[in-house]
This record gives sequence, structure tokens and C-alpha cells, in this order.
Amino acid sequence: MSANNGLVRITRSMLASAVLIAIVAALATAYTRTGGASRQSLIAEMLSNFILVLGMQVFIGNTGVLSFGHMAFAHIAAYATAIVGIPLAAKAKALPDIPFGLADVEFGPLGVTLFAVVITMIAGALFGVAVCRASGLAPTMITLAALFVVEQLVKNWKELTRGAGGLSGITRLQGNTWLWAGAFIALVIAHLFQETRIGRFAIATREDELAAPALGIRLFTARYAAWVLSIGLIALGGSLRAQSLGSVNPKQFTLDSGILILVMLVVGGMRTVSGAVLGTVLITAGNELFRQLGDPQRLDIERFPDLFLGGAMLLAMLLRSNGLLGNRDLAGWLRRRMYRPPPAVDQPAGTAADGAAIQPSTNTLVAREIEVHFGGFVALDGAGLSVRPGEVVGLIGPNGAGKTTLFNVITGLVHEQGGTVALGERDLTDSTPVDIARAGLARTFQNLRLFKSLTVRENVALASMVAGRHRRQRECPDPDVLLADAGLTDWADREASTLDYGNQRRLELARAAALAPEFLLLDEPTSGMSDVETMAMVESVRAVAARVGAGVLVIDHDLAFITRISDHIVVLSEGRVLAEGTPADVRANPLVAEAYLGSSV
Amino acid sequence: MTKLLQSIVDGLGVGSTYALLALGISVIFGVMHLVNFAHGELITIGAYASYFFFLHGGSWWWMPLIIIGSAVLGSVVMELVAFRWVRHASPFTLLLTSFALERLSHALWQIFVSPKQRAFPKPSWVFNQFKIADISFEVMDVVTIAVTGVTLALTAVMFKRTLFGISVRGAAEDFDAARLMGVRANRVISGAFAYAGFLAGIAACLIVMRSPAAEPSMGADWLLKAVIAAVIGGLGSFTGAVVGGLVLGLLETLTRVYLPDIAEGWDKFSTAVVFILIAAFFVIRPEGVFKVTHAERV
Repeated sequence: MSANNGLVRITRSMLASAVLIAIVAALATAYTRTGGASRQSLIAEMLSNFILVLGMQVFIGNTGVLSFGHMAFAHIAAYATAIVGIPLAAKAKALPDIPFGLADVEFGPLGVTLFAVVITMIAGALFGVAVCRASGLAPTMITLAALFVVEQLVKNWKELTRGAGGLSGITRLQGNTWLWAGAFIALVIAHLFQETRIGRFAIATREDELAAPALGIRLFTARYAAWVLSIGLIALGGSLRAQSLGSVNPKQFTLDSGILILVMLVVGGMRTVSGAVLGTVLITAGNELFRQLGDPQRLDIERFPDLFLGGAMLLAMLLRSNGLLGNRDLAGWLRRRMYRPPPAVDQPAGTAADGAAIQPSTNTLVAREIEVHFGGFVALDGAGLSVRPGEVVGLIGPNGAGKTTLFNVITGLVHEQGGTVALGERDLTDSTPVDIARAGLARTFQNLRLFKSLTVRENVALASMVAGRHRRQRECPDPDVLLADAGLTDWADREASTLDYGNQRRLELARAAALAPEFLLLDEPTSGMSDVETMAMVESVRAVAARVGAGVLVIDHDLAFITRISDHIVVLSEGRVLAEGTPADVRANPLVAEAYLGSSV
Repeated sequence: MTKLLQSIVDGLGVGSTYALLALGISVIFGVMHLVNFAHGELITIGAYASYFFFLHGGSWWWMPLIIIGSAVLGSVVMELVAFRWVRHASPFTLLLTSFALERLSHALWQIFVSPKQRAFPKPSWVFNQFKIADISFEVMDVVTIAVTGVTLALTAVMFKRTLFGISVRGAAEDFDAARLMGVRANRVISGAFAYAGFLAGIAACLIVMRSPAAEPSMGADWLLKAVIAAVIGGLGSFTGAVVGGLVLGLLETLTRVYLPDIAEGWDKFSTAVVFILIAAFFVIRPEGVFKVTHAERV
């Protein structure tokens, strides 16, 4: 990625942020022209919520991991703000036993905010290790635990927090200028994150937890980066809220206020920054409308806003579960408008091969004596194979022969009990899927694992980004060239899930090739295809593999496809290699016919 | 020693209520991969039902029937009006849908009844005490543990022997395969919700017998603990849910009783300690005590 490219991305983020903040500012101005101070304070509340929503978007929206605990960090930030933002004399009275020598510390607004953000990010970074290491629902539960722990700390660590009554007398910000500035900064950061490599990786983990590691993306790193940045924004929002109100108390950032923020995020659409902004504006307006409908003097209808929140969330989930905007956003639109394909793609795929094909590497992929048991069932019983550089090896065998298991062993998804896997000199026997992908083995999946809500080009570009970082030793093919080889140029801006089945298979192939691998491992690339499509796939696989100089290991049930594409065929049966050789040899082997047809012919 | 036994009895009392709720959550997770955050609202529904029942002159003998009936009905209706329409959505969408229901239920009780607590009379014998070998038991402790024990035993028999139970277990392992074997999705899912409602109804009976009052937020507190218990046990594992509930109950009681002995003045941080332990557990074993493997092909 050139510096020029970086500048383009910053400009794009600034532009999108400026447009969004201008729209919100216009709405706010129209609203506050009449109605006086109470309307100004609603805007102040909305702006701090705005920052909190963007903070949640950076983590939840990009990684797809639900968190209830973000408000815990808003709490930490708000108390950190109070502790250094209350004038010394007042602090000596409110917190006489304050520890850590904090009695003599007082900062101005900028210092207070920075202090709060830094302290909170440190706490968040520690806690984030736990959140991002876990998988499934455990991260959500861990964030819930954070919420309870912080709640009890602020209620009971009286030397620092004064307990249930909270702290007041924080030097207040004049007007909403600081909040507007904070909101703009949050917008730019949230936009920029989605443009960075690590941000794109986080999105990939959201789209598919299995495919991302198989392309060399480490779940932890991507999620952790999103988490720490997200906590930084939450801290900014929490600190500015405290400085705008002048006080904090243990009821300010509870599970309930977290849910308000979450509703804002999901109603607008959590995947995009524009969605988060839309949700914030709509929910703030709706909430206020229902507050006016209710009567604060009467307890029974004071709760109208709750009814609105529950109803809005339920309707959003039932009717548009990806939020009102779904995948649409201003920054994405700008990205597509500003996209200029490299000149090479303007030529037809055939002529572009003016020496563009990359030389195969000199490494051989070898799996030896692999043994795998699932309980008492022996899936692999000493099977092995080798693929030489640039060679196409077909792996066939009856159902249950262990083909996919062997694939999964080679790519690190299944742990073998015996045997070795090596790529040239490098031993990959106990490596993780991420390390194996980075070493140069790229795979596709039997039942398609695309990044469904990303566009076709984005799918391929993601793998290219991994290659650009972790496979520098190989020449990396341009995503658009690969799309052309796979015959997908016309669909490049379509969402991957909208492609037909054959094209989805070809996209997965192109995405794997974009990793600049030494070997492509294709798991049933033609399953569900017609005969015509299958034969077209032979060409696609050959073209793409030749483009990146990769050898191919391919499983398929279609013998016509396998014999046509393979240089060498390995036949598995009951976990062992039954036969191998050239397609002609294998076809002539009576053992193979027996394994397939069940009796000697 | 007495102190230890006493706290174990207390812990099992709370823990068995968690277990009943966690089991319901785990059963529903098994059939549709939903972590139902609205499950706790069934307690609220049951409590209000018995409040209205007493308001119109009801007696304690009929109360369990009223509470369990309303909880079962509430659970089935939830599925019918909301979850059925998002059945094939992502777990994230399902979870947020349940969250929305929880909010709505909360708001509706506040608006149509009152945000304040509504109390009703409790049976006179609940807090009577008796002693066995120096340990004093409350009648309610014994009732709680006995009722839970019987319910769980019946549940175990049901899951092993009845067609419905086997369908639910099959669906929890692999829903698509279960459907191919002739299990009807609608019937199994409705049944699972009804059963989860039944378990929540029993939990609600035990809860309102201890503190006979209804308020809008009462379900939410129990729910969070029950969800945590279900996840500790391993979502989708029925044994795990029960173990998770009991472990959480014991952990809470034991830290409250013994933490001050270990570190003076720390009793006010007992909840924080429990949750830090839970967070640490999830880091070491994110899939819970009983790992449930789902049929997922790559």
C-alpha cells in the first residue's frame, strides 16, 4: 500500500465524517432554534451517546461479537474524569481519603479527557485479553462480568468514588463545542478503522470465523485491535458526558443505558458508521417524542420511552435484522465511486499474461503416514501424499474414505494423532490454520465460506491484504487480475451472497489464490455444478493456479473433472492410499473400480 | 463445620433455582441456538399472575398451578409472536430479539400495573425452622431442594424415555438430521418453549414463596445469573445447565461467607470476586464445563 493510497483513505474518511456531522448539525440547529436550554441539553446528551454508539460500533459492528460491558468502561472514564476534574478544595471535602496521591491533581478539560481515555484504555486493554481470547458466547459473558465488577467497585470503593451518592462539582464544559469536536473525532476514527488492514481483518472475522483464520487472519489480533480502539472511544464519550453534566454516579452507565446505546446501534445498522449515526438520531428523536407523550408526574406513563425502545428493537429485528441501512454507507459508496481499476485489467484475461504469471516455488507439499481417530472410528490410517511445485494432484475415494479429513489435517483444522505434514523444509505438523495459511497453503471449503456481506472485490482484496503483509517473499497478484481470470469482473461490486452458486465457487477460488499461495487446496470445487459449469471450472482452476504459480490439491467426486484436471491422482479408501498414478493408470487399476463399485468387475 | 454445611445448604437453595432457569435456557438454545434473555420475564409474569390471583381472593393451594400455567403460556406466546419469525436468523439477531421482548415486558408492567413493587401474603410456614444435628434448616430450603430434585429427576426421565424428550435431544444435536427423521420443527420448538416455561414457572413459585411480591424488574436479575450458569455449564448441555446453576449458587454463598475471613473488609466486593472468577473460567474454558459439539461441516 503506497503512501498515496493512505492519503486517499484519510481524505475519504474525513469527507464522509464531515458530511455526516454536517447533517446532524443541521438537524440539531433546526431543533434548537426554539425551545431554549432544555433542548440544548438534549443535544448534549445525544452527542455523548453518539460517541458511545460509535465506540460500540467499532467493536460490535466490525467483529460481530456482542458486548454488554462497554458501559463498564464508560463508568471508569467518568470516574477518572471526576477524580482529576473536580477542583482541589472541593475534592478534599468529597474524597478526604483519596489514595495514590490523587489529592493534588487537577487538570484542564483537555488534560482531564486525555487522562480518562488513557486510564480507561489501560483497563480495557487488560480486560480485552480475556474477551478476545474466548470464543462463542463466552466473550459476551465476560463483558457482562466486567459490568458487574465495575458496578460493585464504584459503589463500594468509597475512598475513590464516594459510593452511592456519586461525585459532583466537576468543572463543566461551556456549551456543546467540545462534544461536537469529540463526535467528529469519533466519526473519523470509526471510518478510518474500517479502511485499515486490521479493521478489514476484524470485518472478515465477523463474516466467517473459520474462513478468516484459513486465510491467515488471526482472530485475536483483529478483535483485540477493535476492542482497544472501541474502549478508547467509549472513554471519550464517558468523559465528555461527565464533564458536560458536571457529575457522576453509579447509576449513570448501567446495563440499561448500555441497552439504549445498543438499540441505537442495531436499529440504524451496526455494520456501518452511517448506520450507527442514523440509529442515534432516530432513537434520540423517538425517545424524546415518547417522553413528551408521557407525563413525568404520573408514574404509570412515565415509562413510555422504554416501550418505544423495546418496540423499535423488536420491529428492527423482525423486519430488518441488519438495521435500516444494512451494508450501505457513505464511506463505502465513496470507496466504490473513487475506485479506479489498474490498467492491466482493461485487457482481456488472455493477453494480460505477458509474463505476468508467477514462477512456482521449489517447495513440495508432503503429508506422511497420517493417522486420525474420532473416538473409536479410524478416519485416517497411515494415508499420505505429496504435491510437487506447480503440479495438480486429484484426491478421490468413496464417501468416508477420509479425503476431507486429510485436507483438514493438512490445513490445521483437525489434529492428527500420528504422521507429519511439511512444506519444503518447513514442518507444519502441529501448526495452527493461521500459520499454515501464512506459510503458503490456501484452501476452499466444501460448503462455501465466503465473506457474504462484502462485495466480490472486497473478498479477494482481503486475502491480498494478508498476502501483502505475511507473504512478501512471493509476488502478490492483483485482485482485479484474479477476478478477470475467474471470470468475475462484471460482478466485482456485487455482494458475494447475491452471486449464483457457480460464481460463488469461482470467487472462493480467486480469494484463495489472492493469498499468493504455493499450493491451492480445493475441497469439491464442482459440487452442485452442471457438466458445462464443471468443465468451465477446469479452465478457471488452471488459469488461476498458473497466474499465482501454485500447485493444486483437489478433492472431487466428479471423475471426469478429476481426470481432466489432474497430473497425478491419489485414491483413498478406508483411510489408506489404495492406488496412485497418472489418470490413465488409476482408471486401469482394478482395485479402484472395486472400491467404487463394491465388487471386482 | 456447621458454618460450612449451613452455607452449602443455602448455596444449593439459590443454586437450584438458577439450575431450573438455566436448564430452560439450555433447552431452548439446543433447539434453536437462541440465548433467551426474555426467559426471566416468565418469572415476572408468574409473580403478577399470582398477585392478581390473590387480589381476587385466591388461596396458596392453587397458586403453583396459576404461576406455572401463566409461565408456560407466556413462553409459548413469546415463541409464536416473535421467535418463530426470526428462526433462521443469526444467533446475534435472535439474542437481540429476546432482549427487545425483555424491554417490552418491562415497560408494559410499568405502564399497565405500576413501576412499584406489589406485595401479597406469603404462606405462614415458609420461614419456620427446624434443626438436625445443630444445623438449622428453614422449611423453605428443604422445599426448594426437594422440588428441584423431583423436577430434575422427572426431566431426566422425560429426556430419556418420551418421544418428545428424545426429539428435543436429537434436535439439540443436529436439527437438520432430526427433521429428516420426521421430527416436526414447529412442534418440537413449541414444546421446548412450553417445557422451559414449565421449569421457569416452578422457579417462579419458589421465588415468590420466599418473597411474595411482583415488580417489573424482578425477572432480569435472576435471568442474568441463569444465563451465566447455563454458559458455565456449556450451552445446549442439559446436565451442564444444572451443574452450572448449582456451582454458581454455591460460589456466591461461599464467597459471601468466607471472603471476610480471607481478606478483611472484602465482603462488600464478594460479587466482584465471583464475576472475576467467572471471567477467568471463561478464558480457560470458553465452551463451558460440558462441551457440546454441534454437527458442523467445513
